[in-house]
Parts: sequence; structure tokens; C-alpha cells
Amino acid sequence: MTLHGDNIRDELDPAGIPLGDVIDADVTVSAFVPLWRQRLNIFLQNKLAIASVVYLVFIFLFCFLGPHLWHSNQTDQAQALLSPQNGPPSAHNWLGTDPSGFDELGRIMFGGEYSLTLGMIAGVITIVIGTLYGMVSGFLGGFVDTFLMRMLDAFLSIPVLFLLLTLVTVFARTTTNLIAIIGVIGWFGNARIIRGDALLIKELEYSQAARAMGAGRWHIIRRHVFPNSVSNIVTVATFAVADAILFLTTLGYLGLGIPLPATDWGTMLNNASQYIANGYWWQVYPLALIFILVIVAITYVGEALRDAFEVRLLER
Amino acid sequence: MIAYLIRRLIQSFAVFLIVMFLTFILPYFETGGILAPAYIALSTHASPTAVHAWGVQHHIFEPFYVRFWQYFNQVVFHFNLGYSWRQTSSVWNIIVSFVPRTIWIALVSLVLSVAIALPVGVVQASKRNTAFDYTVTNIFFILYGVPAFLLSLLMITWFSIGTLHLPPVPNDGSALQIFTDPKAFILPVGALTLLNLAFLSRFMRSAVLDVLVQDYIRTARAKGCSQRRVLFRHAFRNALGPIIIILGLFLPGLFGGALIIEEVFNYPGIGYQTVNAATYLDIPTVLGITLLTTLFTLAGNLIADIMLGVVNPRVRVEGR
Repeated sequence: MTLHGDNIRDELDPAGIPLGDVIDADVTVSAFVPLWRQRLNIFLQNKLAIASVVYLVFIFLFCFLGPHLWHSNQTDQAQALLSPQNGPPSAHNWLGTDPSGFDELGRIMFGGEYSLTLGMIAGVITIVIGTLYGMVSGFLGGFVDTFLMRMLDAFLSIPVLFLLLTLVTVFARTTTNLIAIIGVIGWFGNARIIRGDALLIKELEYSQAARAMGAGRWHIIRRHVFPNSVSNIVTVATFAVADAILFLTTLGYLGLGIPLPATDWGTMLNNASQYIANGYWWQVYPLALIFILVIVAITYVGEALRDAFEVRLLER
Repeated sequence: MIAYLIRRLIQSFAVFLIVMFLTFILPYFETGGILAPAYIALSTHASPTAVHAWGVQHHIFEPFYVRFWQYFNQVVFHFNLGYSWRQTSSVWNIIVSFVPRTIWIALVSLVLSVAIALPVGVVQASKRNTAFDYTVTNIFFILYGVPAFLLSLLMITWFSIGTLHLPPVPNDGSALQIFTDPKAFILPVGALTLLNLAFLSRFMRSAVLDVLVQDYIRTARAKGCSQRRVLFRHAFRNALGPIIIILGLFLPGLFGGALIIEEVFNYPGIGYQTVNAATYLDIPTVLGITLLTTLFTLAGNLIADIMLGVVNPRVRVEGR
């Protein structure tokens, strides 16, 4: 028997107590499910997000464990030259070889290590700077806010690629510098979003109540504004990582990626797609598929996280 | 309104100055030292005397504040962006001859992408969580994950080398060629449109969605408006506000996207020039182009805010 609201409500039990009340009570009990559990449930309802997480975990294992299991050499250029260059897929090289004779499958793992690591570190840097900047600006308000926001306007009005290009040509191309540059450039949009949050939350009743009870600014930021924007920060962070990986790829295209013999997915895609007309499809399509799916998967996880943190979707 | 405009103009000018300062200070952090551009402008093996002479000629050795003041004075009071260090041309000349080409493809693709993204966003929001919504969202997500250069190169491979034999390069690249040889623009403009779409569509749907839950939409439904009328008369017009702001913010992105497209398609626009100037440390050109795009962006934001007042009377009344 399905216990659905209205038709149950009409049935009375022998003692004359409407059954509906009992059922309503059950519903309230179900609201005591811990918050994180409810959020997890909402996240798990999203099948695409689960698939994305599985895929991302797989890619991580593939990139970080793969090189230890797969036979290929990825650093010794002299040795690589002994294998056929631009060789098609074979039993030995499942995805063929690249122009230097490196095994393509191994190359994808190897480049992925750099792309993923750099993307994640840079993404985290953007979110940390963006959060600090946005929080301070939104919370302090007044002159500080105006000043910081005008500064942000200035940053935002320079096309990101111009800035990226200038910085990368000006600074030496080391891994650390690349992380720093992408990290320092990517936070502008994040800061805007976080500031909006901070502005909103500091006017909400609980912050005002805390203020009325004599709480200091720092206390309110730490105990009210920050915890309540964590949801947004986590969501923005996921997209920040995807964007950082994309930035790195664009740099790879402009020939400003990680120098040889190391590589990253952007540099690989660029090198390969220049010669796509020669018919070396194995150098482009497998990697392109993996890469695009990584970005799409991260986006799905971000969307699902946003839903999970969305208060209106909680069972109440 | 006038007071608001004046305040905005002053703020925009301040932003412009900050950008000028930031970009001007960058070459000082040059890994090869402040004289590194000299070796590119002259030659890698230039003698120290020649390099020194080059430095003196370009006022490299003067203190930062003197150089910055000179540049500021030159740009703000004389509208002179200086001379390129690499090309025998003034920066202004480079801008004048290459910017119109970029504006062409950027504008055409912007109009195209808005014309596609807007109706799609409205329909998506009204049919949310249906198969149509999911399909469109997924397509745009995938499009967002494709790096610009890869998309362009694949388009060239498929439609130029592959089947349709569309020309991959607009051959003389003059702005008017779009009328004489429109076929040449299909690929670059198409690629840029797809990229813009991937970016814009994320906002279009949510902008309309935010409006659809408002009370006045329920009122409109309650008084018996047709779905069509609710969507395009009530929802769409109210969603225009956020969309205009997004478009204003989107302008620098448009230039950035065009940069990659131009590089791939060998389209002689301003993005192509920027990549070259940045690669060869032609600082005055980079500075000039950056300042110009900043100006465009600021103007875009300002126009977006004014347009906002036009489409949304509430903003006007508040006076902001």
C-alpha cells in the first residue's frame, strides 16, 4: 500500500486519531538525517556525477600508477629514437608512438601527471586568493570594498590570455612559475563570487545577531561568513581546477607549456594536431577524448556539488 | 543619472590607470633583465655598446617614475602610444590596421552566439530537466571542455581538408573581405561562435531560470497568459538585465578567444599581433594593445550598465 498524503488522511484509526498525523510525524523524523548525509544523498542521486567521479579516479590511477605498470620510457630521448617515429598502434605500442618515438599511451599518462597536478595546485591557489580577497572586500565594505573592487575591475578588464601570455614570456618557464602564473591570474572571477556571498551573509540575521551580541569582525568572518560560503567556495574550486587545466592547455598550444622532455596534455595536443593532416590520428583523438572528458567530468562534479549544497533541495 | 555617469567615468579612468601601471611594471621582472628586448630587437649577438645605445635611445635607464610619467603623459594627453620596438611602425598604426579585422569576426560571432544562446536558454529554462534540456546542457559542457585551438584545428581537418573544402584562411584578411568572400569566414567565425556559445550558455539558462521562479511570473500564469507570452514577454525581458551584464563582462574574453582563433587560422588580426609582440618582447605594442582592450572593456561595462537602465526602469529610479 502506498502511503500517500491525502487518501491516508481521511482514514481514521479506531481510537479516532487521524492516521495522517502519525505519518507527518514520520516525515519529521526523517528530517533528522544528518546534513552531510542528506547532501551526500542528493549528490548520489546524480548518476552523471557518480560516473564522473569514477572516471576521474580512473584517470588519476591511470596517470599516477600507470607509468609504473606500463613498459614505456618517457624521459630518455636517445632511447626513444630507437623506436619507430609516428608509428601506428601495434601490440607493443597500443596507441602508437609520437614524433620523437615515445610511446603514446605512456606519454598520455606522463603528460597527465603534469597537467592534473599543475591544474589542481593552480586551481587551489586561485580559490585561496579569491576567497581571501572576496571575504575581506565583501565583509569590510565601504572604502576598502570600493578600492578592492576597482582593482579587481582593472584585473578583469585585461583579457586573461594577454596577461597570461605576457607573464609567461616575461618569467622563466619552470613548473613552479607556471603554477604561480596561472594561480595568480585565475582568481579574479572567484573573488567576485565570494565577495557577493560575503556581502549577502553578513547582512543575514545570524550575523547581525552575533554582531548585536558584541562579536568582533574577525569572529563573524570566521564563525559565520566563512562556514556559510564554504559550499560556494567548494563549487567554485571545482570549476577553478577545470579552468586551470584549460589555461595550461592553451599555454601548451602557444608553445609556452612545460619544456621537453617533460610534457603536458596541452603541449601534446598541440604537437599532435599540427600534423593531424598527415593521418597520425592516434596522437590526437585518444588524448583529446580523455582530456575533454576530464574537463566535462569536473564540470559535472561541480554542478552536482552545487546541487548538494543547495538548501532548497534539502528534504525538510 | 548624470552624477552616476560622471562617477562611473572617473572610476573607469582610475581602473585604466591601474591597468597602465600594472602592465608598465611587468617588464621590470623580465628574467633576462630589462635589456632583454634589446637582444631581440637588435640581434642575439649584439655588442654591449649597441645594446647600451639601444637602451639610451628607448629611455630604458631612466628611473621608473620618470618613464611611467613620460608614458602616461604621452598616452593620456597626446593620445600617442609610442613606437613598436620591432616593427617600423607606430603602435597606433598597428592597432588601426589590425583591430578592425578582429572586431569583424568578434562582432559577427558575438551576434551569432547571442542569437543562438538566448532562445536556446529560454526554451531550456522553460523545459528544464527534460531530455531537451539535458541534451543541450551536455553538448555545451562538452564544447566548454574542448580547448579553442583543438576545436579550430579539428574544424580545419574535418571541413577544410576533409569534406566541405571550406577555405581555412581568409586570404587577404581585409575587413571588407567578409562581403566579397564570405565563405572564407565560415570556419574562423564558426569556431569563435561555438566557443562563445559554450561560455554564454552557462549563464543564459540560469538567468532565465532565476526569473521563472519569481512571483510576477506566477501572476502572469495565474491571469492566464499563454506559455509563449509568459516566456518572451515576462521572463525574457526581465532576464535581459543579467544577460547584458554578462555580455559587458564578456568583452575581454571575446578578444582573448579571438587571439587563439587568429593564431590557428593565421588571421591577421590584433590577437595575432599580440602573440607576436609578447613572444618577441615588443613591450610598447603589448602595452598599447592591452590599454586599448582595457578601454574597450571599460566602455563595454559602462554601456552595459546604461543599457541596464534602459531595459530595467527600476535601476533608473534608484538612481544608483
